[in-house]
Amino acid sequence: MTTDATSAGSSTMSRADTAQAAVTAFFGAYQAQDVERMVDLCADNADFRYVPFEVRTRQRVLHGDGKVRTVGKAIWTALIDAFPDLSNTMINVRSDDEGNVAAQVSIGGTQAKAFGVIACTGGHYDLPHLFVFHVGSDGLIDDIAAYWDNADWNKQLGWLEID
Amino acid sequence: MSARSVAQEFFDHMEAGEVEHIIGMTAPGAVVSLVPLGVRGSMAEEGASYLRDLARAFPDLLVRVRRLFVTTDNTAVAEITADGTQAADFLGVTNQEKHFDLDQGWLLEVTPEDMIGGVTAYWDQNQLYRRLGVKRLDKITITAR
Repeated sequence: MTTDATSAGSSTMSRADTAQAAVTAFFGAYQAQDVERMVDLCADNADFRYVPFEVRTRQRVLHGDGKVRTVGKAIWTALIDAFPDLSNTMINVRSDDEGNVAAQVSIGGTQAKAFGVIACTGGHYDLPHLFVFHVGSDGLIDDIAAYWDNADWNKQLGWLEID
Repeated sequence: MSARSVAQEFFDHMEAGEVEHIIGMTAPGAVVSLVPLGVRGSMAEEGASYLRDLARAFPDLLVRVRRLFVTTDNTAVAEITADGTQAADFLGVTNQEKHFDLDQGWLLEVTPEDMIGGVTAYWDQNQLYRRLGVKRLDKITITAR
């Protein structure tokens, strides 16, 4: 936990505002491509689930499901490596008084390296996402889930195979 | 009634294929955005059309609400899992009687009168195609046995 992360939760703010501030800070760090900061805004054992993330190998299917500090950090790092101009635009953020937050976010970037099965053709993508967070009473994100459409993403990057 | 119970009722009717009940829950002018399909329009037309197609293609549809909360602007946010067995062509995909399960995120904007004023849905169409046997995005009707 960092001081900055904790400061997202001021005692004068409602729980809904605190949670929203944490999520806004998270996307600010993502925009700055500061993966360490993204992780610092999350609790040590924060859960992570990128629902569409499925990597099929010969033996099994790997899912984007685990912890922020392991699976999440690795995926964010790989994304920024493959799309060096990766950026996000927050479209709408909603929260409740129990720390739940829903964020509609557009994420896009220009491919500079292969990403998973998608060979690099230098294509650009912009893709709507829905993120669902839970933020603890300490102002740290303790759960992240995300939804997007890989069919749209793959088509924008010129990858038409469904593996 | 609360936004939470409105949302639960919405998904119960979706599971049962009761599209007219769902449309009866919507406010006049209610809008829909089915993000993966690029569909934006009215619940009465585009929304109802999608839900009817879904009900016809998956008559054994199950909709499980995994997480549901209501934000301060009275939007119900739901993470659901839908699963069923294909019984008719769906979104251009030839029926092979395959089973699918698909996690989705839905936002239902609920009015002070407990009517649904807006619906936005997210899922991964690639996952749906994969489960239904589609092999290429440019040849949706060509499926693997």
